[in-house]
Amino acid sequence: MRGKDLTRTLRRYGTLIGFLAVVLFFWASIPDTFMTARNWLNISQQMSMLAVVAFTMTIVMTMGDFDLSVGSMASLAGIVAAILFSQGYSVTAGLAAALAIGIAGGLLNGFLVSIVGILPFVATLGTLTIFSGFAFLVSGGRTIFGRDIPPSFSGFARGGIDLNLFGELPVMLPYMTIAALVVFLAVWLLLEQTAFGRRLYAIGGNREAARLAGVPVRSLRLTAFALTGFGAAIGGLMYASRVASANPTQGSGLMLNAIAAVFLGMTMSEEGEPRVHATLVGVLILGVLDNGLTQLAVDSYVREILVGSIIVAAVAFSSFGRGNG
Amino acid sequence: MPLFSVTNVSKAYSGVPALIDASLELEAGEVHALMGENGAGKSTLIKILAGVVEPDSCAVTLDRRRVRLDSPQNAFEHGLRFIHQELNVVPQLSVAENMFLGQRYPTRFGAFVDWKAINAQATAALERLRISGIKPGRKMARLSTGDQMLVRIAGTLVADPSRPASIFVMDEPTAALSSEESERLFAVIGELRAAGCAVLYVSHRMDEVMRISDRVTIMRDGRTVKTMAIAATDRREIIQLMTGRDVGEAFPPRRGPIEDSVALDVRSLASEHVSGISFSLRKGEILGVAGLANAGQSELMRAIIGADAQRSHHVALDGSLLPGLSPGAAWRRGFAYVPRERRKEGLVLSRSVTDNVTLPHLAETSLLSVFLDRRRERAVAGDLGRQVRLKAARLSQLCRHLSGGNQQKVVFARAMAGRPAILLLDEPTRGVDVGARFDIYTLMRELSEAGTSILMSSSDLPELLGLCDRILIMRDGRQLTIEPAAGLSQAELLHLFHD
Repeated sequence: MRGKDLTRTLRRYGTLIGFLAVVLFFWASIPDTFMTARNWLNISQQMSMLAVVAFTMTIVMTMGDFDLSVGSMASLAGIVAAILFSQGYSVTAGLAAALAIGIAGGLLNGFLVSIVGILPFVATLGTLTIFSGFAFLVSGGRTIFGRDIPPSFSGFARGGIDLNLFGELPVMLPYMTIAALVVFLAVWLLLEQTAFGRRLYAIGGNREAARLAGVPVRSLRLTAFALTGFGAAIGGLMYASRVASANPTQGSGLMLNAIAAVFLGMTMSEEGEPRVHATLVGVLILGVLDNGLTQLAVDSYVREILVGSIIVAAVAFSSFGRGNG
Repeated sequence: MPLFSVTNVSKAYSGVPALIDASLELEAGEVHALMGENGAGKSTLIKILAGVVEPDSCAVTLDRRRVRLDSPQNAFEHGLRFIHQELNVVPQLSVAENMFLGQRYPTRFGAFVDWKAINAQATAALERLRISGIKPGRKMARLSTGDQMLVRIAGTLVADPSRPASIFVMDEPTAALSSEESERLFAVIGELRAAGCAVLYVSHRMDEVMRISDRVTIMRDGRTVKTMAIAATDRREIIQLMTGRDVGEAFPPRRGPIEDSVALDVRSLASEHVSGISFSLRKGEILGVAGLANAGQSELMRAIIGADAQRSHHVALDGSLLPGLSPGAAWRRGFAYVPRERRKEGLVLSRSVTDNVTLPHLAETSLLSVFLDRRRERAVAGDLGRQVRLKAARLSQLCRHLSGGNQQKVVFARAMAGRPAILLLDEPTRGVDVGARFDIYTLMRELSEAGTSILMSSSDLPELLGLCDRILIMRDGRQLTIEPAAGLSQAELLHLFHD
């Protein structure tokens, strides 16, 4: 009995323990810079775009669906905003158009999945290509940068709230981090504190039972995909702001990492349900690994192999003994 | 000396005892019933016999030898065979292929499947049990649930002759069967007994147990209370031993007449699976839906709440015509629905009791219909849980960890919330023990007397006759007739199904 309880605890908290081990390892290996407020704020800024996409990805994943098109939606949103800027529209107009595109694309995904009834994998694989094609089409394949990008837009990613806690070096809480925190809170409220979220979890647990209990499965799936598209557009805008430019492929790395973060988070729940606070841990793991390995000057290809292996190991570890074993 | 005995079986789950020094003996050539309320420990005992659950202590003797049942393979090699209510069949494969599932196919030249031998052995096994009308080459999907179960039983006979089956454990085998399918199963059980096998028969259905078994062992609160010869006992004693209280087995009678006002009026309702459904349900009336297996009882209910698309509909609630419904709209308008398969269609097993009870009522229990009010949800779930006598350790317990009867009570509690105008119950007591069953009957009566109109399907004929005011008979998805239940006998009812 005792042994079984131990494996259960390990399985449940294994990811968290692994995360702490990674932190300790980097702390020991890079004693001067890793465990500093500045570095952690830096990590939070580096991963803020991924965090936003992963948080909103969690919304569709609570229903057992997922969205492969978030990366190309992020690129498209950045491109749309940048093109409007280059044509002299205001920052507000550009942001509004990009976010509207995000919602529209999400609704298209939702329509294909819930009304037409295509598997999310296939439907969003299709829209991934469509969004990417649009991004190339409207930009002509070029990167939009320089004077076309208004300073008030790119300034957002550089700015922050001054935190002179320690008085030594200037430290600030980046606006990007704040944006990610706001999205986190919004998604947490939505999934954990509203009837909407409860219904999404019910759909994820047993779609047919949820439907027969009166849960409007179709409209909820539609809405959830729209929110994920919206989040992808926010992530794309943050990215464009950070690099002060937009090109039609810059968001493409976000999709796999966002899904990986949610999966890492799912390993922490006994029932394997995605929870947004667990996704936050998943994002932190990816962010810390990236930051630490870069500081250790690990080759970027080796880094990819390491990160991939860690994801597989975490998921494998948490599913040990959960099957028919 | 008995053929098989288990003694001193104890098992606790994280400190909570599920079995306390239980014991059981099986003789060759007997049908031995195992009865007890949900949560009495039957399932745990069976899982220990099957080698799926590891007991804290246990001694097993088979043919005077001490054996260990520590894995499913081990149990199989000692001749134990398990037939569960939820069948593991592969519908795309043939009858013969399903009978050979998990076993080595006979081969030719050591490599090619010998289809002739497979079919011949399958036929022989079916014949040994005198099962007629099932061809080995038939697709499993085309068989009724009852026939699929017979195929599973016959499949245990084609096994490797070095490991013959001697003990059959059947866990509520008739729960999903119609009365005539059950008859065929009983005939097969008779054949097994005649062949010298022991059959451990778990069922909540008193009639069956009294009819087909030789002895009965009663379990209560994790202990085996008593083993008796069926001839030397009666229902009353069995129920008393199971529940530890004196439960009147009578159906709670209706006190007072039904109101005259029509609550639900259905005219020529049709879906993909049913057609020509017309009836009107008075306020507080209980209308039964009956027929042979799969005559469209479930589909009738699904059509009413719009779970299956309505092809033509004229459904009026309290005199006002409803638009084509969806399940969501139906719940909002005062319908409540208990589907047939609680695990597949009723519950979100990965969620708590509270979450499952309030799922259709979140708009009412949430602040401004949006923000979850967990305290209110707990109050609602706790209140309903007490009314249905739910035995759950905590309201936050996951439904996955509840016994079958308690899972059913969760689905029932959900349907009772807010006193629905129309309550649709599809096999509400399926797999539910006697005590819980009468709790459900009493609740149904209370609801009906408070003005809820109930439509219930059941394959348990005494239940239909004991509770319903009228019975709607179906065949092949069509409505045959509606008969008043008073004065109808089981035989007459069966006769109506066939003709």
